[in-house]
Amino acid sequence: MKNNVFRRTLGSIKKLPLRCKEFFKDSGRETYASMCFMGVGQMINGQYVKGLLYMLAEILLVAYFALQGISDIVGFFTLGTVKADAWLGIEGDNSVIMLLMGIFAWIALGFLVYLYFANIKDAKKYADMKAFKKIPGIKDDLAALINSKFYKFALFLPLLGVLVFNVLPIVFMILIAFTNYGGTIVPPELVDWSLDSFRKLFAGGELAQSFARILGWNLLWAFASTFFNYFVGLGLAILFNKKCVKGKAIWRSFPVLAYAIPGFITLLAFKFMFSNGGPINNMIVDNGGKIIDFFGINSKWMARGIGFFVNAWLSVPSIMLLATGILSNINTDLYEAARIDGASGWVQFKSITLPFVIFSTTPVLLNQFIGNFNNFGVFYFLRGDVLSDGYFLASDTDLLINWLYRMSIDKEYYSIGAAISLVIFLITSALSLIVYVKSASYKKEDTFR
Amino acid sequence: MKRIFAIMLAVFMMAGMLSVFAACEPSTQITLRVLENDTAKKEGYLDYLLNAFNEKYKDENVVAVDANMDEYSNLEQDGPYGHGPDVLYQANDVLMKYVDGHHIMPINVTEMDVFEQVPQNAWDAYKYDNNGEIVYCGIPVNVQQPLLYYRKDMLPEDWQTEWDDNDNGIPDMVEFWNELYLYSQSIRKSDMSKYGFALQLNNEYFNSGFLFTYGGYIFGNNNTDDTDIGLSAGNAKLGGKIIWDLAGIMDEKCLDDTFTTGRESMLANGTIFATICTPDMTSSFVKELSAVYRKEGLSEEEALKKVDENLVITGLPKLPANGDITVRQDVTDDSLWVAHKTMGGVNGYGISSYTKNREWALKFVEFATSEEMVLKRAEMLGVVPARADALQQVGDEVAEIIFNNLDDGTIVVMPSISAVGQIWLPISSGFKQIATDGCGDCLYTMDDIQAVLETIDDNIYKAIHTFG
Amino acid sequence: MKKLKLRPKRIADTFLTYALLLLVSVVFLFPCLWLVLSCFSASGSIYSFNGFFPTEYSLNSFKSLFTDSFYNYWSWFKNTLLIAVVSSFLGTLLVVVTAFTISTFQFKGRKALMKGALALGMFPSFMGMTAVYLLMTQFNFINSRIGLALIYACGAPMGYLVQKGFFDTIPKTIYDAAKIDGASNLRIFCSVTLPLSKPILVYTLLTQFAWPWSDYILPKLLLKDRELWTVAMGLMSLPDKEFARFAAGSVFIGVPIVVLYFCLTKYMVNGLSAGAVKE
Repeated sequence: MKNNVFRRTLGSIKKLPLRCKEFFKDSGRETYASMCFMGVGQMINGQYVKGLLYMLAEILLVAYFALQGISDIVGFFTLGTVKADAWLGIEGDNSVIMLLMGIFAWIALGFLVYLYFANIKDAKKYADMKAFKKIPGIKDDLAALINSKFYKFALFLPLLGVLVFNVLPIVFMILIAFTNYGGTIVPPELVDWSLDSFRKLFAGGELAQSFARILGWNLLWAFASTFFNYFVGLGLAILFNKKCVKGKAIWRSFPVLAYAIPGFITLLAFKFMFSNGGPINNMIVDNGGKIIDFFGINSKWMARGIGFFVNAWLSVPSIMLLATGILSNINTDLYEAARIDGASGWVQFKSITLPFVIFSTTPVLLNQFIGNFNNFGVFYFLRGDVLSDGYFLASDTDLLINWLYRMSIDKEYYSIGAAISLVIFLITSALSLIVYVKSASYKKEDTFR
Repeated sequence: MKRIFAIMLAVFMMAGMLSVFAACEPSTQITLRVLENDTAKKEGYLDYLLNAFNEKYKDENVVAVDANMDEYSNLEQDGPYGHGPDVLYQANDVLMKYVDGHHIMPINVTEMDVFEQVPQNAWDAYKYDNNGEIVYCGIPVNVQQPLLYYRKDMLPEDWQTEWDDNDNGIPDMVEFWNELYLYSQSIRKSDMSKYGFALQLNNEYFNSGFLFTYGGYIFGNNNTDDTDIGLSAGNAKLGGKIIWDLAGIMDEKCLDDTFTTGRESMLANGTIFATICTPDMTSSFVKELSAVYRKEGLSEEEALKKVDENLVITGLPKLPANGDITVRQDVTDDSLWVAHKTMGGVNGYGISSYTKNREWALKFVEFATSEEMVLKRAEMLGVVPARADALQQVGDEVAEIIFNNLDDGTIVVMPSISAVGQIWLPISSGFKQIATDGCGDCLYTMDDIQAVLETIDDNIYKAIHTFG
Repeated sequence: MKKLKLRPKRIADTFLTYALLLLVSVVFLFPCLWLVLSCFSASGSIYSFNGFFPTEYSLNSFKSLFTDSFYNYWSWFKNTLLIAVVSSFLGTLLVVVTAFTISTFQFKGRKALMKGALALGMFPSFMGMTAVYLLMTQFNFINSRIGLALIYACGAPMGYLVQKGFFDTIPKTIYDAAKIDGASNLRIFCSVTLPLSKPILVYTLLTQFAWPWSDYILPKLLLKDRELWTVAMGLMSLPDKEFARFAAGSVFIGVPIVVLYFCLTKYMVNGLSAGAVKE
């Protein structure tokens, strides 16, 4: 598949000179006008409102670049030259803000280039069309926006939101991985571009070893808890759905209760419950036992196990609800037929229920996996901060995300944190993309319509 | 029904938005935003201070207000973007971590009257070497140090004959660690659900003092050199052994925050006899204990009086010079004992570099560190003033002990360099490891303890220097 | 013969089923019950409990919850409600529009968009916190509840998959019929799709509503002023020893969500199932 993409790209690059030549050969003055100034071609075509809009866009964008954008792009490369000093009243440069504004400027530049080419294409298209039929006015364009081009209109706001509040921060963080931002180098100190974080990460030694260990446990945790929660949730749904169960709604309400209480509250409640002076240990002591240090420094697997079950307690209900809905949609004829063939309950489950449910819930399963892989709360709230032997500033229950949090938020080593999360990001997104693209619900998304 | 619900929501949203806009009305008045700690706000001291300041300068165009933020707000994060306070009250380690980035202002303290009144050790906590020039970036207000809290009515009835070998009228178990250890042991023997001395042993602030007493230190060169970390230096392992021993007179509850979260209620209901805490928490001890007394049938007044008699707050007991707290030693021979060094802090005021009214901020700080205000603070919050003149008027025994401890170096003030943020987690993890063995398998030898302390040093070094 | 044999088996099965049901109910109910009973503890501290439950009961913690002006629960509650309502409506709008568009239309870059959303979802979100904070300082949105709600809402389209699954099940023939009648796509969305999507709308509204109730990191980053704090932030600022008050505060934020869920369980089960099933 990758090969294919590569070949296609190469092919289109090869064809580029030829296509340019053709383009210029049959272009009229409208196209050239638009090349000189956006929107002029449209004016000549008689599309005045559109032309004006294009002109306005060019003026605004060029003004932005003249006033701010160019210096922002320069700042993106230098990341500041004058160190701020509040004592001396020197305002100075704030490197991280410059990085952020630099990214903005690049996006604006991309937008300008896109608009420019769209404008030329548009001018040429309607210049060619003019000879044959009446070209659409602004009213027609707007009408198209809510109809044939509806997707553009509809996706504009969501995409803008995601771009600003999700993509931009991620891009920012990825770029941070290539700087020396963090530790003592935070504003007002000037930040610089540097590859040190990756060098340290891949230089081997304790950091790399710790990374490998935590990654291993993280993967184990993510797979184990995803599958456990999934099948327990499914099992519960089947249990509640049994014919002999009276008062289904009431039975189902208990897990819903757990679903509705915010996670951090239940986690803190569980922490108190399992603490050394907490009720569980009190009961053990009252019955002549000895206190169990559930989350102690040597309680590696005990702590991991409790975290595992507490996490199940938190996430099983939602899967149960989901599976309940799915089960009610299975065609009951299938079961009838199976029963006539003499299939046992287990065989029915294996060959009817399971494939159906798994097919329908792959995206959800994937979401669950992502959620568990990046499950910050469970060990953060349950165990608190502790360091274990053989780990670099981490404990043996820490998931990568907990480790990252400690390094980048607590200790303010942003660039190394960003470098680690970039590596994780590459691994996990590749994994989940492969699973997703191969899944039936992606390949045949329209099968059932 | 649905429609009504929707309308209600819409109205609610509108109201919310309007209130946001309404908050931004312009004003020409100079406003000083003061960040104080939560206790000062809850006990009403901040209001008192602000009112007094505003009263004094009511003819000027200035008003001081509560910054109304989280007490642990990060000036480095808020200040440069204009959301920080103008004046802030913090412990020295917190305040001084802002100095490297010049987020707080140097203050010309040598010309102020407070300079003479505060001992040099307290000023050192705010000293900063600005390219060879010594400047001070904060003004000390009060000194914090862990103290021993115990209940007089839980002493054995015959303490005057059996537990006062040096005949000074003070029970030996609150004077000497060995006696406290033995007394705790005897309590545990008679009733396993009770404790003598109880403390969260992985608390880095309360327990580092054991290491300091026998030669350990945090950073070299008077806590300023972060390449030299010495928690395992000297005979610090003796201190480590004491933590290990103390775990033996408690149980696994000393490994998590049971004894921190529960200390007030456990002391009040008689589960524990003594614990260690800082003086600013006194009011919550009083509250819990008086509630217990009230339940026994006393009136509110009587209960408070009884608390006053029975809840004793005093300096930490003496440690044995040879480091062994498990056997009885002659308490009349002073040469066998050394003072218990403890970690402490100097809380004070600093001025944000991002304030728009430096003169007024300075005036406010001067006002807030005046004798009158420092005294009021000490009275209202039970803290120990850093000013000698205020201390004299408080006339409190404990306050005097702390003040002298600061003067003679028994209090090891928390380092005032930014690397201090990296020391807490390694220390608490190391202590937890020692205590876990001490209340469980008891397999550790002196060498194991030394090894744990060295791991602490190593972890701190890595935390500071791997990415630095 | 056969029937006689089956009967004991069926009885055993029923018995086993109910035993399991009981066990499951206890497992889920017990911690919740514990939390609820803890609110009524007279002493307030968990370490004066006798075994699992408080030794004495009183309403003290509820009283202090609503009268303490320093830990001003009532104001936290109002703030959270405002943020949750705004982000719930705005977020639902964005995510439903996104899911509908991606499900219904074929356009250039659609598959790339889907893959991109999935991959971006893998990035640990708090790593972007620094950038979000800087952005908000530039937009002057620090100390703004609406700004916070905007972030929640704008993050919503990232989780469009469940909703898309739902729209995938609406037969194309319905749209075709509407198109023959001359309806535009916007019109189809408003008057054909939306009425059919009640379950998924309810589900989305609820999940979008519940998120701000339990989030702690974002408000802590962006809301500096104590008056603007949310419930999660406020509860976390309570001293540890005030467990009873913490529990009481938790129950109060749990209650509206529990009640909503119970009223809408029917919708939700349908919404979710239809969202994931292709038949």
